[in-house]
Amino acid sequence: MGGFLPPAERRSGVLLGLYATLALLLLLTGDRIPQAGLRGAGAWLFAPFDRLVLVVDRLGAAWRENERLHERITRLELEAARLRQAGVENLRLRDSLGLPAYRALTLRPAEVLALAGEPVPASATLSAGASQGVNVGDAVVTSDGLVGRVGEVYAGLSRVILLTDPNSAVACEVESTGVQGVLRFFASPRPQLLLTGVPMADTLRVGQLVLTSGLSLRYPRGLPVGRVERLARDLNGLTHEIEIAPAARLSRLRHAYVVPGPVRPGAEAGR
Amino acid sequence: MRVFAGLLLLAGVALLIRSTALSVLAARGVIVDVLAFVTVVWALRWGESQGSTFGFVLGLAADLDAAHWLGRHALALALVGYGIGRLSRALVRGNPATQFMLLFAATVAHQAWALALELGGVAGWRFLLGHMVVSGLVTALLGVLVLALVSLGSGRSLFSRAAIETTPRT
Repeated sequence: MGGFLPPAERRSGVLLGLYATLALLLLLTGDRIPQAGLRGAGAWLFAPFDRLVLVVDRLGAAWRENERLHERITRLELEAARLRQAGVENLRLRDSLGLPAYRALTLRPAEVLALAGEPVPASATLSAGASQGVNVGDAVVTSDGLVGRVGEVYAGLSRVILLTDPNSAVACEVESTGVQGVLRFFASPRPQLLLTGVPMADTLRVGQLVLTSGLSLRYPRGLPVGRVERLARDLNGLTHEIEIAPAARLSRLRHAYVVPGPVRPGAEAGR
Repeated sequence: MRVFAGLLLLAGVALLIRSTALSVLAARGVIVDVLAFVTVVWALRWGESQGSTFGFVLGLAADLDAAHWLGRHALALALVGYGIGRLSRALVRGNPATQFMLLFAATVAHQAWALALELGGVAGWRFLLGHMVVSGLVTALLGVLVLALVSLGSGRSLFSRAAIETTPRT
């Protein structure tokens, strides 16, 4: 057949056959070829051009974001001024009532190296340990809220018991209501965090914020824990069944902060 | 040498546009198949050998950009380049209607092959069909417009110096 075709056409046919064969071979065996280096080189090569092409888009986005952030800063500054006044007033009132003052939280940053537990993670390994001043019982938080507490400490690592550990229990209160309960994790009939021990007489609404309570021996007061997601009557009919959506994304932890646990009178020597 | 430099430049620009401006459109469901477009243009101008070479090189670069199915775009675009290059001899290449039909056919063929592999078969054929027709129409319309603008801007037809690869039969 090839003999009937003029040379130029034969050449283009051969070329096509070669390309098609190569492409089919790559389709069949391409996954076994290490491509990361080539992709890296391509990304390195194209990165300056990508930046150049995207510069207009980024400028527009930065302009819009700048406007949004300016507006947010103004609102937050006003709110901060109001909160500073309220804070001073609060200190004065607590002092006059003889209540101890709140203390600021110390945050020690740590990287989350691993999560363990199926289907919901129950523990996490942190990149900070005894050498970094981490102690058993310290609370662990993210910028979103409470994650759990330190259960084991090694020299340079520590193990965190997450809120989703079945043995974990956190004394909590619902924001601005004074409603108290204990947060526990239940794996069946489906994995869920429940705020237990809240009498039916207490009124709650879906969406309310749940914080660590001042009654907690392990956690500082006022750390965000989650929000009320579902309300139902408990099987015994005496208490609420309150499902809580955790504030921190427990299955996507990358960084966390270790917060030293509350120092109780008389516990100073033990620490 | 000049053709080779042009090949690399056009392939680079196409990949750059695809990964930046067009990816924003693609995320909203409008895929402008710039790979098929430049392959058609190259094959119309330079014939089937150059068309298939350009399609293969461009496709291979696009394949390396994706996480899997190495060779997927390379095969489809090499075939498109060859087919359009062969057809270009028998067609009036400067005619917008011809360009529209060729761009539509090339886009549909490329998208059908690439998407069938991505979706793992033709089980979602309704989605595939709708997607192919929409991207074929959008690419063909925009392509014809771009070619017209380039011709207007340069003052001459883009395909006036097309290579004739066949040797006269005796």
